[in-house]
Amino acid sequence: MSDVLRRRRFLSNAVLGSATVIGADALGGSPAQAIAHAGHRLPPKTPDPNFAEGKVIGIHGSRLTVTSPELLLQRIEVGEETDVWKLRHGVSLDQVKVGDVLYARGTAGPDGLFVADLVWVNIVNLHVLVVGSEPNRVHLDHGGGRLVGHIVPGTTAVVDRLARPVREMSGLSVGRHAQVVGAWRPGTNEIDIATILT
Amino acid sequence: MAGNGPVVARGLSTWFCCGPSYGPCSTAGGGACGDCRSSRWQCAWPNASQACFDITRPDRCGVSLPRYGCDHGFHVANPCTGKSLETVTIADCGPDTDRFCRERRCCGDDCSSHRILDLTPAAFSRLADLAAGVIQVVVRNASDAREAT
Repeated sequence: MSDVLRRRRFLSNAVLGSATVIGADALGGSPAQAIAHAGHRLPPKTPDPNFAEGKVIGIHGSRLTVTSPELLLQRIEVGEETDVWKLRHGVSLDQVKVGDVLYARGTAGPDGLFVADLVWVNIVNLHVLVVGSEPNRVHLDHGGGRLVGHIVPGTTAVVDRLARPVREMSGLSVGRHAQVVGAWRPGTNEIDIATILT
Repeated sequence: MAGNGPVVARGLSTWFCCGPSYGPCSTAGGGACGDCRSSRWQCAWPNASQACFDITRPDRCGVSLPRYGCDHGFHVANPCTGKSLETVTIADCGPDTDRFCRERRCCGDDCSSHRILDLTPAAFSRLADLAAGVIQVVVRNASDAREAT
């Protein structure tokens, strides 16, 4: 078992003794009502009504149909003003494919249509252990599973703990803990790296 | 105004996925408290129990954090954008503070060091761009913030 996985499992087990689970029905009021009162307030454990997530199962013009992790269908409008991130900001909607997964921030209308201001496609943010390094890719351990991280010329940034750019890949020595922000390639164990923090 | 209570901690936050999910996130689960969801305003706290603290070890970075368990509520602000959240509740143990000692971020002359919080995507994206990965945060108890309103 990897060091990262052991640690994560231990972290999860470490606090279980004090867990108290409150049912969603105890919250009262609808999420939309809650967020309407003040933009920065939300009752505990309420889904953020200005946030959407899911897997793209259909694309019709500027409208995405996604299925959430709870298997709820949601329609997301991606307009000209919407900023779409897929490894980088400002990509066009035609870069979004069926099978991609996304997070979005925007506003849900009364008809259920979610109008997105920002969409992050396939984004991941992972604490990893570097287990191998090649000129154009790194091998990573994440929770006991192996990932291949691709270095994308002109896009991938390697930065140190003070957010300073690191030249070459010298900061990615084997055995080093790092954090990777990147775009997952759906159906694979591969990610394209936007930023790797060493 | 909300957020005027005593500061519990000031440092850095990253984000993590939890609950049902896809790809590399699919094994994340419900976190230490069992009910974590990416769509909620929830967080991981490094001192959620003694066993948790023994792993995250913020003290190794010179950081002292009070102990708060599952469901404790925070007011969390991003000093760089002025955006804030209430209420963010503890749902997991983390981040691995001692793995990233001396990490530092600044906006202008305002700098913070050390990871003290992990936020869900819904919470983090309310404060900053998910692609940023790491941001500065100021953490207060939610009850303190309410009293100050």
